[in-house]
Amino acid sequence: MERAEKNSAAFAAHIQTPFAVQALTLVAVVGAWEFIGRTGVLFPELFPSVLEILQSLWLYISTPLMIPHIQASLYEIGGALGLATLCGVPLGILCGSRQRWLEVVEPLILYAAVVPKIVIFPIFILFLGIGVQSKLAVGAIAAFFPIALLTIAGMREVKKVYVDVARTVGASPMQIATCVYLPAIAGQVFSGIRIGMGAAVTGALLAETKIAKAGLGFMIVEYYGQFRIADMYSLLLFVFILAALTNWAMKRLFARLSPLARVNQDAGMYI
Amino acid sequence: MSETTRLTVWRLSIIFGILAIVETSVRVGWISTFFLAAPTRAAVVLWEQIIHGNALWLTAITLFEIAMCLTISTVFGVLAGFLLWRYQLIGNSYEMLLAALFSSPVILAYPIFLVTFGRGSAAVIALSSIFGLIPTIINTKSAFQNANPILLQVGASMNLTRQQMFRHILIPAVAPTIFSGFRLALTYILKSVLGLEYVAQVGGVGMWLSDAAFKFEVEEVYAGLFGTMLLSILFLYLINRSEVLVRK
Repeated sequence: MERAEKNSAAFAAHIQTPFAVQALTLVAVVGAWEFIGRTGVLFPELFPSVLEILQSLWLYISTPLMIPHIQASLYEIGGALGLATLCGVPLGILCGSRQRWLEVVEPLILYAAVVPKIVIFPIFILFLGIGVQSKLAVGAIAAFFPIALLTIAGMREVKKVYVDVARTVGASPMQIATCVYLPAIAGQVFSGIRIGMGAAVTGALLAETKIAKAGLGFMIVEYYGQFRIADMYSLLLFVFILAALTNWAMKRLFARLSPLARVNQDAGMYI
Repeated sequence: MSETTRLTVWRLSIIFGILAIVETSVRVGWISTFFLAAPTRAAVVLWEQIIHGNALWLTAITLFEIAMCLTISTVFGVLAGFLLWRYQLIGNSYEMLLAALFSSPVILAYPIFLVTFGRGSAAVIALSSIFGLIPTIINTKSAFQNANPILLQVGASMNLTRQQMFRHILIPAVAPTIFSGFRLALTYILKSVLGLEYVAQVGGVGMWLSDAAFKFEVEEVYAGLFGTMLLSILFLYLINRSEVLVRK
């Protein structure tokens, strides 16, 4: 009797963890979905069987069906992130290194950041056409703002004494930027790139849903147009999983690369 | 000249300087009017649309959608945030899920909402409310969680009832953080509403922009873009002003 009570208490403790609640929620959502789908009590066409969705997902993973679309989307997202980093980080360093410039430019960047970037897409279509370049441009402009703003935020935290020491030993502005600012703001820049990646994914794929010849966003809308709802859900799931995995991988990579531990030691003690 | 005025003059000089360069480029013929409309022409087209066209009506639709999203996300977000704070286990479990959902490209699921709610404002409101809900929930939970315990102890030492404690101590203590959540929510709602209107070609200002692009009316595209930017900037300005007032 006592043993049974102990066991049930241990089980209750096991259940009362965030992971268990999350797992239970997932099971409940899948169960409810399957119930609605099978009974057809609510929008019968909108709730295809979970098995059907997973089969479709397996098809994307195990066959080369989606390869050209994945390639197009990866090209747009990768190019967008690269371009945004190349523009955002130097601009952030430039603005952040001069207090006067920062005061003038930062509010302009903040206000421009609020404008939904997808609405600039028609302009990019006019200049770049309906190929991958216009989506790349939307992704780049979406990723630019978090990268530039977080670089500026990082620059604010750089101790003035580091820059003064570099100047005292005769470092050039370029050397100050690469040897003082960049290592000091690496953590913030990496966060900006990670957030920028999310913005680039959303920007580029959303633009693909508007007008495109290839890409994952384009396929989502194609399936919607053909009313292949299970395929559309599985592709959405595929995109979400891909985005989450990339985000996780970037987090791990940047945690390894970030010199945060060195910064936290307070480099001032070496001076 | 005060420091603020000087900074404003600098900012306006940058904006008008860029506009002047674009205007000159188009007028001189360096850039074809097929790609770029002169800013003055875009402003004239926007003005004509406001006076004679349906720009005001479309803006009203967009504002209505934004207001609905904000109401939904405020009512349900604050309630959910409060409940997640009260029930710690559920709160800790769902906070992570919400954060994961927020960082995923949920907006791509808009076709599902078009199928469910039809091609209209309801679909835009339903999906955009999600972008408002999540930051409101997370900020409300965080606000209650981080309420200064000294304030609560002061309330207890004054023998306040639970209702009095809630009304006179807890609510004023959590209001600024919850307002930061509203600010974030409104920003995301604005982006989502305008973006969805454009992509799905439904609703207000975003649909106008999409229609103009579809017809290759370059001046109208720039006028729509100009209007969208003005609306976004005006919203951010108003949010910033009201946040200053709340913090006072």
